[in-house]
Amino acid sequence: MTDSALDPLLERAIDALRALPSLDQARVSRIVSAAAAARLNAAEDDASVAAPLRSTMPWPWIIGVAAAAALIGFVARGALVSRHRVESRVAPVVLSPQAISIARAANGRGDAESMPIPKQFVLDNAHAARVALVGDFNEWNPTAAPLTRDVVSGLWTIVVSIPPGRHMYAFVVDDSVFTLDPRAPKVKDPALGAEGSVVIVGKP
Amino acid sequence: MSRPTLTAISLHRPAQTSGVDAATISRAKLGDIDAFTAIVEAYYARCLRFGRGVLRNPDDAEDVVQETFIRLYRALPRYEERQRFEPWLFHILGNCCRTANKSGHRRDVIHTRDDRAMARTAAPDVSPARDEAEWADAVRRALAEVPVYNREIFLLHYIEGFSYEEIERMTGVRRSALKMRVKRASDLLRALLSGRNDD
Repeated sequence: MTDSALDPLLERAIDALRALPSLDQARVSRIVSAAAAARLNAAEDDASVAAPLRSTMPWPWIIGVAAAAALIGFVARGALVSRHRVESRVAPVVLSPQAISIARAANGRGDAESMPIPKQFVLDNAHAARVALVGDFNEWNPTAAPLTRDVVSGLWTIVVSIPPGRHMYAFVVDDSVFTLDPRAPKVKDPALGAEGSVVIVGKP
Repeated sequence: MSRPTLTAISLHRPAQTSGVDAATISRAKLGDIDAFTAIVEAYYARCLRFGRGVLRNPDDAEDVVQETFIRLYRALPRYEERQRFEPWLFHILGNCCRTANKSGHRRDVIHTRDDRAMARTAAPDVSPARDEAEWADAVRRALAEVPVYNREIFLLHYIEGFSYEEIERMTGVRRSALKMRVKRASDLLRALLSGRNDD
């Protein structure tokens, strides 16, 4: 079957329907915060993201491919058992309960200009047993935002929602070592009396 | 002179690929929130446009788009690079829209025409911009009259630029049925808008 013949009327209608709504940056921030919080529940199986079950491949092909795969699997079984199994699935970044509460708080409606923006902090420290994020956004509290170690990359990471602006922060390694972020600029904070890492959140 | 076909027109207008590169998607898959933000920024407007077109209540579109991105981010670790990203995103969005449309709390939008009320309003602005806005409003109202199962395919094909092959993979509906749905949606839209043009 062919498509309908086009007349200028329908062409004009399609043009009108193609107009894109404007990008709402505050809405984008809310979506990202909510998604970061929801990823904690990654174990929940979600059928809506799976591709449709129906295949476009003809049945004789499917049967042939399945038979070939079974044969190859049987032959290769002995050769492969001694090899290390490669973990292909990437573990999701797990957020701390504190980060989730911050992100969930950000999910509510508010002033677009002061809307907290999700920001990811990463520290590469293979020897640490615990890492926490401290900064002016969490009263420098070492229990407020513990980082989680990603099982694949080995990196310590956390996502927190922070109000736009310039913030100072650092990591606390193993409950005692105040560590600056090697990937961020550092400045001396007069109030803190020491150097801290600096992050600019949102538009400078 | 032969009239151009919709197929010919769509060839002149490539699919509206918002575009995030594979590296950004890979970073988002690993949990990089900046990469995920880039994805949301790239696709938010298109998803909102599609949601407003498909949902019985267009006011629900923002919530449905948010739900779509939440599901997307949660599922990203399972995303395989051999899949095309955009069809996968719109597959999730389509499912979220269908769920919302089935919701018992739906508030269908009803358009009424009250000639007496219209007579009391000020004389219309006849500027070209006003004319375009009225036309866009009329098109949206006409689209709302198209059955949702035809409307969704029409939007995926002509507005979002997906091929029939891609839509077949996204929805599981055969190509011949997809073309029929698009034709029916086009015919109804044309009929409804022709009536407006005759006013």
